[in-house]
Amino acid sequence: MTIPDYVKNAAQQECDNFLAEQTGALAAVISSADGFDVASAVTRSLDPARIAAMASSIAAIGSVVSQETQLGISKSVTVNTEDGVVYIAYIELQGVTYILNIIANSSAILAQIIYNCSEIRKRLKVL
Amino acid sequence: MIEYKLVFTGTTGAGKTTAISAISETAPISTDVANSDTGFQKSHTTVGLDFGQITLANGDRLRLFGTPGQSRFDFMWKILVKDAFGLIILIDNSRPDPLADLDLYLKGFSEEIYTTPCVIGIGRSESHPTPSLDDFSDKLCEYQLTLPILPVDVRLADDVIMLIDVLMAQAESDLK
Repeated sequence: MTIPDYVKNAAQQECDNFLAEQTGALAAVISSADGFDVASAVTRSLDPARIAAMASSIAAIGSVVSQETQLGISKSVTVNTEDGVVYIAYIELQGVTYILNIIANSSAILAQIIYNCSEIRKRLKVL
Repeated sequence: MIEYKLVFTGTTGAGKTTAISAISETAPISTDVANSDTGFQKSHTTVGLDFGQITLANGDRLRLFGTPGQSRFDFMWKILVKDAFGLIILIDNSRPDPLADLDLYLKGFSEEIYTTPCVIGIGRSESHPTPSLDDFSDKLCEYQLTLPILPVDVRLADDVIMLIDVLMAQAESDLK
């Protein structure tokens, strides 16, 4: 499950761009399904490795919930908090499932995050 | 009917998912995903939790939770062990340093290990006899702990039930 450098670089570029352009963005981390970060851009003291592991667990639990409730394949999980939002979405790199994890403060608009993540998913899927 | 929460933890590949699957009366819930860590010879690994249920002879029910093994998921350890009635630590004796593995979980569950009934299950000890059960006992002594240590094959339901029986007996003796 080795990612070619050009794909990894593109993923890193997407994380950098998201952090620079999305209002309120605090972190953008792309991780493997088993919780290893492969690309990340963070502010403050957020640890990409920690975020990757947590995103992996949350995404997996989301998938189990969707299976148990027969609601189809899980696409994303949103954690709304007092001061912001965590948005976790499945993406594909080279046909393999990865996880895009976004952390943003309350100045961010969730719909905009979802839209931007959808665009990132489309761009990375065709690499 | 009383419901108890029981947590299986331990090293990756020690058989936490297998143990729960071996005895659960309901289809086990699993959060296994493809493993990309070349340090482990496993195709899949648990990243969230495992869950199963079993009813005891007296009608009480055990809810069985399994943790991810890797320490990068230690936040799940804290979540899952909350309000647990007992803890079963599974160690794979074929790994390079099983005593260090035990160290990791004794430290990871240091807030619970002195107050929650706990049993240690050692897997693959027939093919890998060292460290011995005495070596594990010595390791526990470093923590001023005396806990049951049993060789197990978690593929066998009887072995898993034995671990739970010992845990329940330990809990009863703690109550006396």
